[in-house]
Amino acid sequence: MSTMLGLLQAIPYEALLIQTLNGIVTGMILALIASGLTLIFGIMDVVNFAHGELFMFGAYMGVVVISATGSFWLALVLATLIVALIGAALQITTLRPLLGRDPLTTILATFGISLVMQNYALWQFGPVARKIPEPFSGQFTLFYLEYPWYRVLIAVLSAAIIGGFYLFLKYGTYGIWIRATTQDRVMAEAMGIPVSWVHTAVFGIGAGMAAASGVLFGPLVGVNHAMGLDWVLKAFIVVVVGGMGNLGGSIVASIFISLLEAYASIWVSPAQAVIVSFVVLILTLLFRPTGLFATPK
Amino acid sequence: MTDDTKTQNWSEEFWYRGKLTRRRLIGYGTAAGALGASMLVPAPWQAAFGQATKPYKIGTLQPLSGAAAAGGKTALVGTQMAVDRINKSGGINGRPIELIVADYESKPDVGRRKAEKLLVEDNIDVHEGGFLSNVCLACEPLFGEYKVVNMIGVCLDTTLTTTKCSRYTFRPFDYAPAQAVAFAPYLVNKLGKTWHIAYADYAWGQSTRDAYVQQIKKAGGDVVGTTGIPLGTADMTPFLSKISGNFDGLFGIFFGKDGVTVGNQAYDLGMTKKYKWAGDGAIAESTNLPALGNKIEGFVGINRYVPVLEGVLNTPYHKKFMDDAVVRLKQIDPSGPLPDRYVQSNYEAMNALKIGMEKSGFRGREDTMKLIEALEGLEMKEGDDFPQGDKVLRKEDHQAFIREFLFDIKDGKFRILEVVPKEKTMFPPDCKFAAT
Repeated sequence: MSTMLGLLQAIPYEALLIQTLNGIVTGMILALIASGLTLIFGIMDVVNFAHGELFMFGAYMGVVVISATGSFWLALVLATLIVALIGAALQITTLRPLLGRDPLTTILATFGISLVMQNYALWQFGPVARKIPEPFSGQFTLFYLEYPWYRVLIAVLSAAIIGGFYLFLKYGTYGIWIRATTQDRVMAEAMGIPVSWVHTAVFGIGAGMAAASGVLFGPLVGVNHAMGLDWVLKAFIVVVVGGMGNLGGSIVASIFISLLEAYASIWVSPAQAVIVSFVVLILTLLFRPTGLFATPK
Repeated sequence: MTDDTKTQNWSEEFWYRGKLTRRRLIGYGTAAGALGASMLVPAPWQAAFGQATKPYKIGTLQPLSGAAAAGGKTALVGTQMAVDRINKSGGINGRPIELIVADYESKPDVGRRKAEKLLVEDNIDVHEGGFLSNVCLACEPLFGEYKVVNMIGVCLDTTLTTTKCSRYTFRPFDYAPAQAVAFAPYLVNKLGKTWHIAYADYAWGQSTRDAYVQQIKKAGGDVVGTTGIPLGTADMTPFLSKISGNFDGLFGIFFGKDGVTVGNQAYDLGMTKKYKWAGDGAIAESTNLPALGNKIEGFVGINRYVPVLEGVLNTPYHKKFMDDAVVRLKQIDPSGPLPDRYVQSNYEAMNALKIGMEKSGFRGREDTMKLIEALEGLEMKEGDDFPQGDKVLRKEDHQAFIREFLFDIKDGKFRILEVVPKEKTMFPPDCKFAAT
């Protein structure tokens, strides 16, 4: 009994709460990025290596719109739409001709696109990082820290975007088309669903979601050509852990892994806590290769 | 038919009509031999005058893509500014410079491969450049192996001129121990006694942390904790939110986009209000200020270069340098940033090479040792070549000592608080060159 009490007393509750909040915020940003990635894989079997660059492009579009209009909210909406259109155009010109071929070709194509986009951003916008100002500032006291409200807003907005997308998939006609195409491409085509356009739309939606997360995250880091690199590896991990193509699984995996890392960082350095996500990835691949949260067929 | 007859007639005439005497044959043979020999063996005058127009091949390794591309691009601007200026004024020893640029994609393995290509395939005479310390460390042994002088343009890792020093490598700007010697008294006496250091967890960040721990303690202060954050971490909040306790100041050692991230996120967590906020000037580099906005207000830093025309920096040389740099930077970035320390140190590194090559009468790799001897102890005077100020390249470790600027950010602009002369930044050498 006294050992139990001792253990309970040893738990640093302040740190636990702070890291829970950190884990949820990071998890929601990751979920927004990963949901686009998993959606694209689920419907087209395309592993999109350019997803991080779509995130970065979204942030740059946000910078452009903000400098023209001064409105963060307009930037969030317009950047999402512009990058969604760019994504759709990329799918039509680059990926559509490759569908049905060896998956390696689409991996190479998206990797090529990512390099082109990175260097284009560097050429167009230059090496100096840009700023997206937060729509509002302010902090609340969380033990010894002043925690920014904006981080909480990111989590809420990410959840709202993902929730809205979930409702669209569940109840919208085009959402049902997307689900049908994900389940059985051939049968969906036989039922009159324009599968190739569904592919284009899904790639556009995935790109738009990446762009939205880029705008939301921009104020925390400054916008630069390499900002997508930091997130894309983690997004791939949660997509694999959640189950490739499983939207709900990826979202749960994002929060699960982010929380695990956050809790681990109470006792070890956050740099070492990253190992947790790789351990989960390896265990998933060994014991449940279809993903931790995949529904057995 | 007619042609054949003509040919036959001519050869008969040549060989059989008695015109080819033995004397004439020897004459022809000697002439042909002399012509062949002149084609095969370079005459002394050819070596002397032919090389006069042959350009020096100078290689420069820079990260022009990948995570560190932003800094690499401005670094290259400095190198190109110096090369263009040298070529316009007649080159070095009358020979122009051919600059061979190699992009190492911000990766040490690629850096080493590209360095080898520069040395073996491009056959460079000397090298100027390098940006990321881990890449400089990976490539440094190669320059020794191929006996080529390596003039560092940016890398700040302390060990490059201490425990891992090389006879072939020179650093014509400051390093962390000198900065720490210059900054620690100010930190302890004017800002606070106790410090927590947050640093970029790689070669440069670690060696800089060690230097500040040592010098802050020496100045009568204390470092109560350190937090390493891996290079390129997008969300530093999990790291920063672990920093707590009673201390006076938070000292940051970051550069590039990590500098922007730590500046933004430390402010967001209220740490820059709670503690004194100071650090390496790379956090508040001119190219980072637009992305930091008012969140960097009040930051106190140290840097070898600040782009202001005031005090000791209000000189015609510096104005000329800044004007040229601003025009060139505008070409690579539409926002038209002011030059940063990467532009300055690459510009001056190339000029240091020029002076050494002129002093030693350098012709090519065969004169590498002469060039090394010319560079050892080289004194560089403030002027068009060195707008930052006087500097001296110490013979014992090939490390330069220069004046340092302590500054803060006020209303989004640099304000010089103190200028520390180079004599007050001295740190004893800790280098033993391997036998060459």
